[in-house]
Amino acid sequence: MFWLQLRGELWKLFGKKRTYIGFGMFLLAQTIVALVFRFSNASREMVRTLEGNSYVANYYVSSLTIATIMLFPIAYMLLPLYVSLVGGDLVAKEAEDGTLRMILSRPITRFRLLFVKWLAGVLFSLLLVAVLGFTGVASAALWFPWGGMFVFIPGEVFSVFGPADGLFHFTIAHGMLWAKAVTVMGLAFMFSCFNVKPAAATVLALSFVFLNFILMNIPFFKEIQHWFFTYHLNLWQGMLVEPIPWWKVGSSLIVLAAFNITFFLIGSTAFQVRDIKS
Amino acid sequence: MIELKQLSKKFGDRWALRSLDLTVSHGEIFGLLGHNGAGKSTAIGMMLGQVWPTAGEAIICGHDVAENRPRALHKVGAIFETPVFYDYLSGWRNLEILSQYTAPTAPARMREVLEWVGLTGREMAKVKTYSHGMRTRLALAQALLPNPELLILDEPSDGLDPEGIHEMRETILRLRHELGLTILLSSHLLNEVEQLCTRIAVLNQGVKVFDGTLEQIRQSRLGWVRLNVGDFTAALADLCAQQLVTDARDGSHVILAPGVRTDALVRRLVEQGMPLFEIVHEEQTLEGFYLDLMKKKEEPVVPVQG
Repeated sequence: MFWLQLRGELWKLFGKKRTYIGFGMFLLAQTIVALVFRFSNASREMVRTLEGNSYVANYYVSSLTIATIMLFPIAYMLLPLYVSLVGGDLVAKEAEDGTLRMILSRPITRFRLLFVKWLAGVLFSLLLVAVLGFTGVASAALWFPWGGMFVFIPGEVFSVFGPADGLFHFTIAHGMLWAKAVTVMGLAFMFSCFNVKPAAATVLALSFVFLNFILMNIPFFKEIQHWFFTYHLNLWQGMLVEPIPWWKVGSSLIVLAAFNITFFLIGSTAFQVRDIKS
Repeated sequence: MIELKQLSKKFGDRWALRSLDLTVSHGEIFGLLGHNGAGKSTAIGMMLGQVWPTAGEAIICGHDVAENRPRALHKVGAIFETPVFYDYLSGWRNLEILSQYTAPTAPARMREVLEWVGLTGREMAKVKTYSHGMRTRLALAQALLPNPELLILDEPSDGLDPEGIHEMRETILRLRHELGLTILLSSHLLNEVEQLCTRIAVLNQGVKVFDGTLEQIRQSRLGWVRLNVGDFTAALADLCAQQLVTDARDGSHVILAPGVRTDALVRRLVEQGMPLFEIVHEEQTLEGFYLDLMKKKEEPVVPVQG
């Protein structure tokens, strides 16, 4: 019966048009970035950096490299937006519409209902990240050849990979991006369990993420960056360097797991004690 | 089927419901009456485990809702005012989703229920294309899917046109006669309650002010006798002096003293030579009874136990 209930939640989730906004916007953003790199001299700086380090630039100005470049702004800005939009809707929208009252006239426990909804949000996050990776490579491949992967973040990352290695790192980076997506979705889901409007849950979650991000980047807090939520959300970037800092990634995964459990427990406690009224 | 014991709910500083005791037996159509904000929906919310009681217990089908909600609601279906669904999905999909919160439901059972509520042929259309009446029928279908023994209807006729109200009334009677369901009907449509219910409770500002059968209401001491005499004032003065009546109104109606029957009035008036043209023991209507109760809301509550 659990799987039937999960299937029902997925039907509800994917039956709504707004669920697909994220997919559409990702494709749009990726297409724009690919076109900008293809038809402008935006890649000139990258070529100069590669040649300055004795690499054959043409080999690395590839679909994988462009897909990775477009990944950064999307992962930082758009992904949190769309997963929190869905996470914020999961409970609060049903409460607002009145369907929650219909559900809770049935013999399902509130905890189980929340767990099924949260799991649907996790699956949505997985699909969103998988589509993000696939459409990133696909839209870049329309304009750029297959080749090596170059990742450059001034002062932080300088990585070059062959095509196979590059694809491997690109793929596992998306695996870790899923952890980020699930956590931000879980944060919005937690707010959604309170007696708030869906939009408020989304805005609260995004505010929490962006506030953490801003504080983390203030030089004063540089030494204690690892205490910030967003520091651990960026674990996916660790997959784009060689060797992968597994210890750091592992500790971030544990911290995110703890955050997820905490968010769920706070949300379910708030939901448990709530009165559901028309 | 339903047993509420001293059920109370406080929202902030305001009592929405105070010490409600209520029993609904198997096979009854029980009416819960009251004005908007009287506490009907709060009481239903507590019966369904949606609202936590401040004090007291709600026992449904033998199980305390607060302690064992899944068991208590296993054989319960509910409809709320203004039925809402996932409009972007079909009626069939909505039924599938909602029924799975109770138990897996076979397609044959769903078709049977759709046939029963008269939605066959429209089940694959999106709910956003449904009329209000069709939504109400779909709400009824989802409530019937788990094979309930108890049906809780919270303002089911709200927003329906006269034909829809009539249809809903007929449906509720069918539910009882064909399916043998126990029904709790919350409504402020007095006419509907009068035609459907065997027993009612009236709530006023969160307090139960009456609990009894419609027959008790008809026979209640609040019943008036219409008296058509030559000189009502003189007749009234005489009847009062004889302690045969206790109250009068409108220059035509009197209330009999306890234990007094209309024949005693007839005898007295004839003996006094007063022309008597008509005497009718008017049955108390639910509307009249209800309005009297509401007028008496400031007075101490003396419930009639059914």
